[in-house]
Amino acid sequence: MKYRILPAILMVTALKLEAQQEMMLNSLPDLWHSTTVNPAYFPKDKHFVIGLPGYSLDAAHTGSLTYNDIFIKDGDRTLLNFSKAIGALDPQNEVFFEQRIETVSLGLALGKWRLQAGHANRFSGVLNYPKSLPELIWNGNAPYIGQVVDVALQAKLFNWNEWSAGLSREFGRLTIGARLKYLSGTSALKTDDDHHLATIYTNPDIYQLEMETDYGFHSSAIVSAFDTSGLGFDLQLAKVKGKPFSSNSGIAFDLGLQLRVTDKLSLSASLLDWGGTIKWKENANYFRSQGKYNYEGVSFPGGDILNSGDSLDFESKLDTLNDIFNFKKTPEEFSTRLPERAYLSGSFALTEKWTLSVGYFYMKKADRQATSAVSASVRWQPVRWLSLGGMYSLNERSAANLGFHLALKPGPVQVYFASDNLLNAFSIKSSPAVNLRAGVAVLL
Amino acid sequence: MPIPMRHHRFLRLLVPALIVCSLYAACKKSDFENLEFADHAAEFAFPLFTTTLTLEDLLAGVLNDSLSNDTLLINDDGTMTLFYTGDVAQKPATDIFKFFQGGAFPLSDTVSMSPIQAPDGVIIYKAVLKGGNIAVSIFNTFNDTITGVLHIPQMAKDGVPFAFPFVALPNENFVSPAIPVDGYILTSTDNILQFRYEAYKPSGERVKFLIGGFFPGIYVGFNQLEFSYLEGYWGYSYYPLTRDTIDIDINQTNLDGNVKIKNPRIIMRISNSWGFPTRGVIKYLSFIRQNGEELKLETTAFVNDSIVDFNYPTFPNEIGQTKYTDVYLDETNSNIAEIFNAQPTQFIYEVNGISNALLDPTIIGFMTDSSIIKLSMRVELDLEGSAQNFGAEQTLDLNFGDYSSIDSFDIENVEFKLVTENGTPISTSLQIFFEDEAGNTIDSLFAGAPRFIMQSAPVNAEGVATGSTRTETLIPMSVEQFDRVRLAKRAVLQTAFTTADGGSIPVKLLATNQVTVKMGLKVKTRS
Repeated sequence: MKYRILPAILMVTALKLEAQQEMMLNSLPDLWHSTTVNPAYFPKDKHFVIGLPGYSLDAAHTGSLTYNDIFIKDGDRTLLNFSKAIGALDPQNEVFFEQRIETVSLGLALGKWRLQAGHANRFSGVLNYPKSLPELIWNGNAPYIGQVVDVALQAKLFNWNEWSAGLSREFGRLTIGARLKYLSGTSALKTDDDHHLATIYTNPDIYQLEMETDYGFHSSAIVSAFDTSGLGFDLQLAKVKGKPFSSNSGIAFDLGLQLRVTDKLSLSASLLDWGGTIKWKENANYFRSQGKYNYEGVSFPGGDILNSGDSLDFESKLDTLNDIFNFKKTPEEFSTRLPERAYLSGSFALTEKWTLSVGYFYMKKADRQATSAVSASVRWQPVRWLSLGGMYSLNERSAANLGFHLALKPGPVQVYFASDNLLNAFSIKSSPAVNLRAGVAVLL
Repeated sequence: MPIPMRHHRFLRLLVPALIVCSLYAACKKSDFENLEFADHAAEFAFPLFTTTLTLEDLLAGVLNDSLSNDTLLINDDGTMTLFYTGDVAQKPATDIFKFFQGGAFPLSDTVSMSPIQAPDGVIIYKAVLKGGNIAVSIFNTFNDTITGVLHIPQMAKDGVPFAFPFVALPNENFVSPAIPVDGYILTSTDNILQFRYEAYKPSGERVKFLIGGFFPGIYVGFNQLEFSYLEGYWGYSYYPLTRDTIDIDINQTNLDGNVKIKNPRIIMRISNSWGFPTRGVIKYLSFIRQNGEELKLETTAFVNDSIVDFNYPTFPNEIGQTKYTDVYLDETNSNIAEIFNAQPTQFIYEVNGISNALLDPTIIGFMTDSSIIKLSMRVELDLEGSAQNFGAEQTLDLNFGDYSSIDSFDIENVEFKLVTENGTPISTSLQIFFEDEAGNTIDSLFAGAPRFIMQSAPVNAEGVATGSTRTETLIPMSVEQFDRVRLAKRAVLQTAFTTADGGSIPVKLLATNQVTVKMGLKVKTRS
């Protein structure tokens, strides 16, 4: 139980992303799943579309840490090994993780109108942690005697189901689309930015442990309780049920337009997840630990040793550790905001087979600085059922992102794979960041 | 260049395969099932215990463990004096001097003299009776009824001498009822009591009770006479007072220690309310070492090496008072300092008494029914002195609780950190022997000899600790040794104390002196 939350955190740590940047997908408006980045997009000359499962992942970790730096295989077991990872960490580290699983979607073209609907399960997470935390876990506290060790983890993790219905219409060369999304929260964990202090100090005297906390977090359906009844400290995790609907709800809007300036030049813009906020009500609690806790071992009054039966009894004293953190649980609703994203792009068809595109991506997460990226891509369609492309993009993490896409359209089926960073798309475990997109659709 | 048809089929399979493979690699849940830490070395440090002990607590604890008559006195300046007292020997005067034992006095004539029952050498001048009774028995051998009165002129109540009228029927025995005598006062000048009776026939003829014309026919019986006050002359009398043993428990140790206690002393206190001169005679006064060797206490405090005259309340103005006599034996008038350097473990004394040893005939003495002599002997030790490797041993039961069941498979070694913060002027060496349930020694804290673990605090010119000295001792232990120790059920602590400057100067132990002992533990796990 103690480690149950750890894999999730470490998985996030191992997989690296920046922001849910899908610039390659945005440059492929004829793919059905590109409608997720612009509701004005709809495959040309198609009347009915069934979107089969699609998956996208965008994750990053600061520095150069990779999955393989942390996890090693030992037969059937996966072992955690921080010995290499710690050296690759910065004093403060951030993990970004955005995942989208599209289960099913439908599209219908009625004259100049296009209707669309679908379901997706999404996960958004940002985790900040000090290097000292894994150091303490891995090396023990003895190497840090006399040092104040910061162990405060900051996280904003939430998972939700997204039910959407959209509409777009052609106005000559201009297509305008809008989509309403009903958000149904599944689980969330959000640390309190105003209370994120947690330190451990091992006193060089006789290693007294001095812990100071002013730490709070909101949770819905992830942490249900802290069990301090036994020796130690046990996190009770709630079972995250993938219910399609819950009382954790919210609304978000996507807006988009596409302008075919000429037969060769096309411009598009979109604003996604606008106003998206989920109000968490189901199993929503606020956990708070505040205070200074000193563990000084067993204290024997000197007189007792001499007078109380001449006995040194360590029994029953150790469990004072139980209540060190003393998290107080208070039922409390809270809200999380979806990252708002925007795309601007333009494409120019050089020939029938070659197309050039440029793009701009913007994302703003609640309480965080906005991030942005620019891209330039080229697309080659040697035959009607095949599309290959490359892209260079520049974002705040890296100036060396070489993207790639491959789309096949055998008959009515559309299958694609796209990544804004080709080098890590197929080496998730050995790359410090990953960005990929894949999906299948049937277009009629 | 057109792509051949077979390649089309290949591509159609390849892309989904790549997608599935990459997604599988990214998301395979089994990667995180049964997740474990890879083997690695880590080191954890945590505190074990802290205890603070004042010297007052320490000594009080030691004393409570052993003897009930020990007292620790905290002086105004914080210094401490340790008292070892023996049982207080109490001798009521009535235990030694017994009067009016009872019995029947035959009156052989109408005026008879009978001696007052008193110890040898004691002449009673006055006795105040508080209980008991007398009875008169007459054998009337006459054929006439005899009437008369019995007088005891020296026994009066409220100024009226005792007189008992009687009527004895012819040829019958007359026995009076018990006649209470409380409140009567007997007076005498020579321990002689006079009885007088007047008896008459109806004819008015005065008669004398004789049986067979020869044996007395009238008796006066005394029964359970008790007095509240006696006055008279006490002559020379020799009698035992007390014998007792005092244990000196601070020296109950198997270890040697060059202990020098500054100014040890013995105070003998006699509380006396006997109203006549009493002389104490010291029959035996010795210390005994642990090996049984006798150390005779030689002193000039007693006259002729053995005599001490007790102060006493004098007649007539100090009746009822208690007088005290203190005899001090210290290094100025005895060899006690030398004796204490030899760490005696027992003090044995025996004292006898002599009344009016000088046979002064002019002294009028007294005693009451509560007159008592108390003799207490007290050894006083100011906790000031020096010691070199003065040993003490204590056995503690141990219970390591959860530590005893820790799985030590992954432990490579441990290291205890022992910290002392010493505010006493005493340095300490320590060895701990760990014992199992059966009392078998299974290991020791240190290999070989005891280790120095506590440096004395700095001291001033008076030998008083002026600060605190911290001493850290690291005690590495293999996991094998750790496994043995944490199963121990008893710890035998052998400590050896040395006062400041290597025990070369006397130091004062203050009640407020304290020492804090703390221990932490580092555990290194195997890689």
